[in-house]
Amino acid sequence: MLSMPAVVSGADDIEALKKQIQELDQKVRILERKNELNAESAETKSKDSPRLTAGTSGFSFSSADTNFVLKVRGYVQADGRFYVNDHIPANDTFLMRRVRPIFEGTVFKYYDYRIMLDFASGINSSAANNGFLQDGYLNIHYWPQFQIQVGKFKPPVGLERLQSGANLLFAERGLPTQLVPNRDVGIQLHGELFNGALNYQAGVFNGVQDAGSGDSDVGTDDHKDAAARLFARPFKNTKIGPLQGLGVGVAGTYGNQAGTLPTFRTPGQQAFFSYATGSGNTFTNVVADGEHWRLVPQAYWYWGPFGVFGEYVISSQKIRRDVLTAPTNAVSSGFDTAHNGAWQVAASWFVTGEQNSFSPVTPSHPLNFGGEGWGALELAGRYGELTLDDELFGGGGAPSFATGASARKVRSWGVGVNWYLNKNIKLTLDYDQTKFRGGSKRPGAVTAQDERVIISRAQFSF
Amino acid sequence: MTKMIRLLLMMVTLWAVSIDAAPKPITLLNVSYDPTRELYQEYNDTFEKWWETQSGGQKVSVKLSNGGSSKQSRSVIDGLPADVVTLALAYDIDAIAEKARMLPTNWQSRLPNNSSPYTSTIIFLVRKGNPKGIKDWDDLVREGVAVVTPNPKTSGSARWNYMAAWGFELRRTKGDESKAKEFLRRLYKNVPVLDTGARGATTTFIERGIGDVLINWENEILLGANKLGKDKFEMIVPPASILTEPTVAWVDRTTKRRNTEALAKAYLEHLYSEEGQEIIAKNYYRPRSEAAAKKHASQFPRVELFTLADVAGDWQKAHKTHFSDGGIFDQIQRQNR
Repeated sequence: MLSMPAVVSGADDIEALKKQIQELDQKVRILERKNELNAESAETKSKDSPRLTAGTSGFSFSSADTNFVLKVRGYVQADGRFYVNDHIPANDTFLMRRVRPIFEGTVFKYYDYRIMLDFASGINSSAANNGFLQDGYLNIHYWPQFQIQVGKFKPPVGLERLQSGANLLFAERGLPTQLVPNRDVGIQLHGELFNGALNYQAGVFNGVQDAGSGDSDVGTDDHKDAAARLFARPFKNTKIGPLQGLGVGVAGTYGNQAGTLPTFRTPGQQAFFSYATGSGNTFTNVVADGEHWRLVPQAYWYWGPFGVFGEYVISSQKIRRDVLTAPTNAVSSGFDTAHNGAWQVAASWFVTGEQNSFSPVTPSHPLNFGGEGWGALELAGRYGELTLDDELFGGGGAPSFATGASARKVRSWGVGVNWYLNKNIKLTLDYDQTKFRGGSKRPGAVTAQDERVIISRAQFSF
Repeated sequence: MTKMIRLLLMMVTLWAVSIDAAPKPITLLNVSYDPTRELYQEYNDTFEKWWETQSGGQKVSVKLSNGGSSKQSRSVIDGLPADVVTLALAYDIDAIAEKARMLPTNWQSRLPNNSSPYTSTIIFLVRKGNPKGIKDWDDLVREGVAVVTPNPKTSGSARWNYMAAWGFELRRTKGDESKAKEFLRRLYKNVPVLDTGARGATTTFIERGIGDVLINWENEILLGANKLGKDKFEMIVPPASILTEPTVAWVDRTTKRRNTEALAKAYLEHLYSEEGQEIIAKNYYRPRSEAAAKKHASQFPRVELFTLADVAGDWQKAHKTHFSDGGIFDQIQRQNR
């Protein structure tokens, strides 16, 4: 009996301890849950925070909902051009072909922008096409099928021209690109239909000469060019694997142009044809003066590591030949229409097995010193021709619209190898040989012998 | 020339047969609140099949996004491309209509029952044996009772919980708002953790073992109790509680842009069909259809239901008074610190 209070007291203590343990247990659980919720909250906040990323595709800043994006990208091309067995001084050279920072992105979800500058000075540059501003445009993509693009950009014409300068098969584009516009200022409607099986663009531009670029803000005359392109990949969404990468299309431009006419260049970037120009007391000067149209059927086919593309260009431009004769100082003018044509077929094969594409290719195994990766190796070949209208060269009593040193036709073939060390670095080595019909045979003239040029390129892009 | 035409025809035929002849699959995004996961997972499967039959083979894939109701509403306003919203309370859809003008302000009149195809109420879940002896709302304010309920600032469900407690005390005190406010202060003093949504609160109570009582949707408690076993928890039904009316609407701006208006409308209208109402009842929501309500009457406890209008007017007024910055909820939270 004496021991009873102690027993009761012990049982009370145990109950009290149990209660205390339960309370402590709850406190621990509550603290753990609060930590859990704080972690969830921090994760949510980080999802709501702006993002900064850096990688092989450049640097990107974006709002959490990606409605606002700024990407900083760019590419640099350091070239070497060496002409074999020519008699022309000072054309073997190293040069910075393209040095292009790119700022692009989106504002308010539906408005894309792109600004691409060029700090390089390729030897084929001119006041018109070496504009500091290469691209500067706004694209409204509220509906993917119907987008509107305004500003300076590539008009939808030449297939190879539309390929990014950082993604070319050869260091220099082929002969058809000489007859299509480079960049121009205007507005275009464009979009993709049927899940990307059909791509269309149609726009109005200031209008530029063949291979020319418009200045960033003004046209050279009141006339405008209409340009349109329809490109179909009919098997893109089918199960026919070999044909999924087949694309065919046609593009064209129509307009009226006046003013200076272009000079055409070889794949080695040497001038082989110029319209007659002159000044002083007596001169012959040829300018554009009237209707200008182009028609450009084009196609590509990519299947596994193989790829081939080709295009044909007809460019028709009405031209005027002014002759000032001394001592009367009378100017007599004559008109003609130049129908110039060019075509090219180029093929390539990834020896290392990568999926070939019109778009940039990423090596399956980037070069890894001491490791197993060797990057991607691509072999390439092409053939092309450019034929000037016979009437440009006069004869039979008709006047000539071309300089006496100009060639009538060029045929060019080339082979090349591209080594993609990784997604960002590409080394190119090309050999192009161009044969001329007509043109000056004077020693030192570009057309005096076949052009044999080796072009090397080290490219860094991000 | 004939050969060319034949070749061309062959190529076109090859192309035509190679592409999928079935209509293009279409997606629909339903942005919903926390506890509807199970309901809409089942409903979506049924609707996808129903739509395919009705539309002559068009495949539809309904995506579901769940989260705190108010949070989901903000996400839609900020650009989450919801074709339909199925949220815990009308106020959250009103916000989308008024702040972002993504649907007309009279959206509630476009579907039957004020666009509320199902209802529920707010009840309690306690641990087996009900160790704290909880029977009614006033038991939740006793000292030593830990109450689990989400944050009414982020959760539509939590607002219903809050308004149910408010309504209880207001009715008991014959409309004395100061007493109702003090009642809520004492209740939230007993809340150790404020989750952002109803599903989080359920996790806190059931999986983390925190608290003595969980205030939650009837459907959520019935689901949780049945899933986790009746040997661990007990459902407590207070004598009176609030009639909760979750609402649904299609978002005109998104559906017009995505050309999904007819599909979105059909998706919501089908909720009122017998098939839709059956799924609703199976997932422990109270159906509007008399037939489904009768069939599943036994699974829903008897409770006297009062409406939001009885105790606080409409959601606009309730939000302004209770949940806006500096409102009664902020005031009682400050007092409890």
